[in-house]
Amino acid sequence: MEKITFEQLDETLYYEKLDNGLDVYILPKKGFSKTFVTFTTKYGSIDRTFVPIGEEEMITVPDGIAHFLEHKMFEKEDGDVFQKFSELGASANAFTSFTRTAYLFSGTNHIYDSTKTLLDFVQQPYFTEETVNKEKGIIGQEITMYDDQPDWRQYFGTIENMYHNHPVKIDIAGTIETIDGITAEHLYTCYNTFYHPSNMLLFVIGAVEPEEMMDFIRNDQASKEFQEPTPLNRHFDEEPTHVAVKERTLHMDVQKPKVMLGLKAKTVHLQGADMLKHELAMNIGFELLFGRTSPFYTRVYEADLIDESFGQDFSLEEGFGFGLIGSDTSEPARLIEEIQQELKAAESALPFTAEDVERMKRKKIGFYLRAMNSIEFIANSFTRYKFNDMNLFDAVPTLEQLTFDDIQEALTSIQGQDQQTIFTVLPMEQHA
Amino acid sequence: MFTTIQLAKGVQLHVHPTTQFKTVNFSIKWRAPLTDEAAAARTVLTNVLQHSNAKYDTTAAFRSYLDDLYGTVLYFDTAKRGNEHTVLLNVETVNDQYLKNANVLQEVLQTIHTSVFEPNVDEAGQFKEAIVNREREMVVQRIQSIFDDKTRYAQQQLTKLMRPNHAASISANGSLEAVKALTVADVTAAYHDMLLHDRIDIYVVGDVQPDEMATRLKQELPFADRDAQPLEAIPASTTEFEYVREQQDMKQGKLHIGYSTSVRFGDDDFAAMQIFNGMFGGYPHAKLFMNVREKESLAYYASSSYSGHYGLVFVLAGIEAANEEKAYTLIQQQLTAMQQGDMTELELAQTKAMLTNQLKEALDSARGQIEVYDQYKELDEQFSIDTWAARWDRITLDDVARMAKYVTLEKVYFLSGKEQE
Repeated sequence: MEKITFEQLDETLYYEKLDNGLDVYILPKKGFSKTFVTFTTKYGSIDRTFVPIGEEEMITVPDGIAHFLEHKMFEKEDGDVFQKFSELGASANAFTSFTRTAYLFSGTNHIYDSTKTLLDFVQQPYFTEETVNKEKGIIGQEITMYDDQPDWRQYFGTIENMYHNHPVKIDIAGTIETIDGITAEHLYTCYNTFYHPSNMLLFVIGAVEPEEMMDFIRNDQASKEFQEPTPLNRHFDEEPTHVAVKERTLHMDVQKPKVMLGLKAKTVHLQGADMLKHELAMNIGFELLFGRTSPFYTRVYEADLIDESFGQDFSLEEGFGFGLIGSDTSEPARLIEEIQQELKAAESALPFTAEDVERMKRKKIGFYLRAMNSIEFIANSFTRYKFNDMNLFDAVPTLEQLTFDDIQEALTSIQGQDQQTIFTVLPMEQHA
Repeated sequence: MFTTIQLAKGVQLHVHPTTQFKTVNFSIKWRAPLTDEAAAARTVLTNVLQHSNAKYDTTAAFRSYLDDLYGTVLYFDTAKRGNEHTVLLNVETVNDQYLKNANVLQEVLQTIHTSVFEPNVDEAGQFKEAIVNREREMVVQRIQSIFDDKTRYAQQQLTKLMRPNHAASISANGSLEAVKALTVADVTAAYHDMLLHDRIDIYVVGDVQPDEMATRLKQELPFADRDAQPLEAIPASTTEFEYVREQQDMKQGKLHIGYSTSVRFGDDDFAAMQIFNGMFGGYPHAKLFMNVREKESLAYYASSSYSGHYGLVFVLAGIEAANEEKAYTLIQQQLTAMQQGDMTELELAQTKAMLTNQLKEALDSARGQIEVYDQYKELDEQFSIDTWAARWDRITLDDVARMAKYVTLEKVYFLSGKEQE
């Protein structure tokens, strides 16, 4: 077991790669009474075209399958796994993103029993045609619930506008039609391919004794049989850098229009320290351009073009990345014009100084230090960073090194008219 | 956990010195009787105070200053509990120990002073009209946006049906009408009223000393003595049974069911009613989740919540509109089953374990410590997790069945899509 100390943060991380390839990280937190454990596979909604383990031909599986699989992991021959966690007084949950599926629990008691329950249920699949079909009604209602949420529709609508081919444009849960085609066999194929320990990461944080916990996990994994790991072979079609659709409008039963401008990133194939630096620089650049201290924000606020729903965000993963700026507004066209003008002006001269960059760096450093209080944040972010070959604990030192020029360079990733798309949600009776 | 020191009559400081967190957290709570007008005025007031102050007279200047202090978080908000309305100021800043050559805490204490005692007012001492107008509009938009969130909208409609013109249905933001009617003078008056008359609780969690904190806060927050009268209890009330349906352009059916109960926060049976709610629909092992979702695949979410201050129990489920009757019947059957004692010791044990765990976990965040203590200290000044868990532990299945009988169906509200033309 390796021991890594982060002095500035006053944290110690324990790490071991087990014989079956599983990465295990343990971070004890002084003074905490709960333990939080996440068990995550590097497999999400975008992994839909791949060569199944032990085969040679590329296949494409139905949309929404990673999320469907996540649901079905909780049902076993002897009942629902939630029941077991409840007995142990632990809250269990799971989520599926574009790139990851995570299973997790938190509890203040019976931590070894809960950890064992987590490892077992994720590593012992049980799918039958009957249980798979039964789940379609439940997930159908989950999809319908999201269908009625204008913010979700706008978020996905904007992403859909940006991408020609990349599966990030497909809703994580799929549609009622696509999930209808999912079978138990599909689930086994995806499970066997992507849930191998060598494609997974276990993170234990909170009230935990590291040596004892590592022994416990090592013994558990040694007692289970796994196939030899084979390299994963995923396929993604070539994706042009320009957006697929420039503008779309959707009518929903809302009281006020919503508008979002999406910026498709050109720089999307970084990993490791380069990605960390780029991502942090983009976050700072975005906030300096559109955040609450920016000249842009003051202008649109005083012109009554935005309300408290205004937000800006930048996301980056291997293969795709985008910035989003949006708000509820009674004048979507005017707001979009303001955003586009700001972007155009920024191409010739950025509306902030090196001093502003220093201030934003301090804000972000404060954010990471605050986030060290949240064991959920640490576990989830650490896993996401690791899957991109980055280290969460490098964020603060990397921030400290960033310069104005780094920010300027990073922002070129979203420059250009061809990177921009607009998605508008209008009330039922209103027409653009 | 917290040491309480009286800073002035009606002004209590509660400090929890701990090295568990890398930040210091402050929460100041001003409490006044809950009325629609007060809620509206105080909400716009919080927006105005958050916008700017005499020292930093624009949002950009104020936010830039806070960003410079290593992204110190500072925000005003409003909330309600029972018949009380709360204005709160939450502040979180990084502990100086983790920063290179910084003395952030001192500056943050001064900023709290500035935010509260040095408002951005004109020569006549009134808030500035342009700021009040714009922030009032922000609150209007916030209230109107509930319509776009169909679950929140349905819950709001159900509560209004059950307890019209009552603390249970008054929003912490106030109503649209009350907010729109506000003038600069109303907001300014609300500000002075709050500073002079509200009962105040100040919480501090972090690596600080209680006595030293008391001295510094007395300086930065010089609140005068005030008469803090305990509020009158909310009288019990019920309405006739009604089943209301509404249609909008949407896909899912939102089934919201309201029950009333005589058991309230502070009653001897309060702990038993918490267990009832947990077993009914509070967790994934509960009756509603297991039957409505897992057995019948009718819903993705089906849960219950217990509002102890108002004696109300709510059930929420998102279903296909065609399954309305089936889901309604199934939910009602779960309550009947519990009234008839059709429950297992396992369900009871699971619920006790989950409730206890949830309370313990809440203490792993500074905000959680403040909220748990702030709530439970009203029940018992000597509140501790262990004593409260022991109360849950004594509850039997007979107690839960008795609680289920105290739960009476009052209103059903079903929001769904329009018929296809």
